[in-house]
Amino acid sequence: MTIDLKNLTIQKAHDSLMGGDFTSVELTQAYLDEIAKKNKDINAYLEVFGDALEAAKKADVKIEEGRRKNESVPLLTGIPIAIKDNILIKGKIASAASKMLENYHATYNATVISKLGKEGAVFIGRTNMDEFAMGGSTENSAFGVTKNPHDLSRVAGGSSGGSAAAVAMDGALFALGTDTGGSIRQPASFCGQVGLKATYGAVSRYGAIAMGSSLDQIGPITKTVTDAEIIFNIIKGRDIHDSTTIDATTYSPKRVGTKKPVIGVPRDFLSGDGIDKEVMAAFEASLKSFQEKGYEVKDISLPNIAYSLPVYYVVMPAEVSSNLARYDGVKYGLHVEGKDVIDDYFETRRAGFGKEVIRRILLGTYVLSSGYHDAYYNRANAVRAMITQDFIKAFESVDVIATPTTPAPAFKIGEKANDPVAMYLEDIFTVTANITGMPALTVPCGFAEREDKKLPLGLQLTARHGDEKTLFEVGKEFLGE
Amino acid sequence: MITPAELKNLAKLARIKLTEDDKKSLVKEFDSILGYVDQLKKVEVSMDAEARVGAVKNVMRADVALDSTPEEREALLNEAPHTEGDFIVVKKIIAQD
Repeated sequence: MTIDLKNLTIQKAHDSLMGGDFTSVELTQAYLDEIAKKNKDINAYLEVFGDALEAAKKADVKIEEGRRKNESVPLLTGIPIAIKDNILIKGKIASAASKMLENYHATYNATVISKLGKEGAVFIGRTNMDEFAMGGSTENSAFGVTKNPHDLSRVAGGSSGGSAAAVAMDGALFALGTDTGGSIRQPASFCGQVGLKATYGAVSRYGAIAMGSSLDQIGPITKTVTDAEIIFNIIKGRDIHDSTTIDATTYSPKRVGTKKPVIGVPRDFLSGDGIDKEVMAAFEASLKSFQEKGYEVKDISLPNIAYSLPVYYVVMPAEVSSNLARYDGVKYGLHVEGKDVIDDYFETRRAGFGKEVIRRILLGTYVLSSGYHDAYYNRANAVRAMITQDFIKAFESVDVIATPTTPAPAFKIGEKANDPVAMYLEDIFTVTANITGMPALTVPCGFAEREDKKLPLGLQLTARHGDEKTLFEVGKEFLGE
Repeated sequence: MITPAELKNLAKLARIKLTEDDKKSLVKEFDSILGYVDQLKKVEVSMDAEARVGAVKNVMRADVALDSTPEEREALLNEAPHTEGDFIVVKKIIAQD
């Protein structure tokens, strides 16, 4: 039977599996068939797991047992999901799309993997990404770029390009990505999907290959907000292995709006030529649709928001330089012989890391080095605190802050490859959520037309710390779920 | 803004070998990136402001060592490039004259 993968959601898949419309083996095979058809062109997956059908068979046993005993079975049982290449699944390769870890096999499960595994999910494969999550296009992968399923001449976005493309091409029902400066939300937006970066600490980072530890979060890329909410509720929670994790008691978000959440728009930040006309048109249309649904939309001011990107490009490389010091060819990963023990490190790291990774490590080393520490790193942290205060103040009068997710639709492969700063500017709307630690959701809000192709656009909603609930409510209403 | 000598020193600190070509392109890229982040110098800040992401605070646990199982140990050692028995092998660290 042909399963309608395009219109599937977690609940629909679960109901069909429980109702006997199809089995997990059939569902998994359907996704495997799509991958076989499309992956050589799109390169969303670096590896399709050979034991996916095994896992699907085991899931079918649980589903049948549940049906027989008339007992409910966890919601994700038998549902295929794609995992970004920087999240550890025990026994499987996790390479962070880098030559440094090309043959590294994870020796433990990330907490999110344990949780999803307990819920019965079928891990179908690992997806492509920018090397060590550094990039906005997946062009920095050591294993080739991932192409946008909507237009193969364009990027899928990054760094979770493979995850977003996998869902968009119906190669999985949903995927996990990681987000340090926008790496879930931007590719989700470019590929027409929903993407969530929750409050910092909401999801355990244990088992995610670290990039910027005060910024990183694991999160879902899905077709619907309802699915994102389901996955979030499964993967969230305090974890003894990650002491930065929070729980439901950490924050007490209080709404301002009485009937509906109030939407704020930082108009100052949206003026100027940096934003594509069609992006602004889709954004304004989204605001109008909120107003028609009875939402109050008001202008807000975020005085220091323009400094978010420079803050990010000081803090993040600093943390990167520290986190990537562990790759020395001794404990795991690539080893290249040098003339002595220190030379081993020099050779190994030069051979294992790509250009962008080296660039960021050196930049981080610079901003942390003696003589520059105060001028760059300390200063960036001080401005980070100021930006966070701006947002907290704004949330005294609004409940959700709306912006476009990206300043333009997916760009052409190679277009920004030679200009690091031009690539960095793509993050302009997404970095704030990582800088402040606040939750942010991207939802598809229309298309831009380029050369007869329709390129997806995203609307980004940011909420106060701990207030994913408001994001889900507003997102669902926007998409008519 | 950044000299090749400074770049060479950074590479030394970061333990990454750079070729002459690497250094040439990195100097240019650095200048471009530093030029961009330098706008932070214009902001009036109180340098006492402590960076904190939301409500994150220090979390302690008991200072107790947890043993690994033989399987865990084997899996970890399997990932190391050079091992000998239960040991990871590295080159001599202290030179002998």
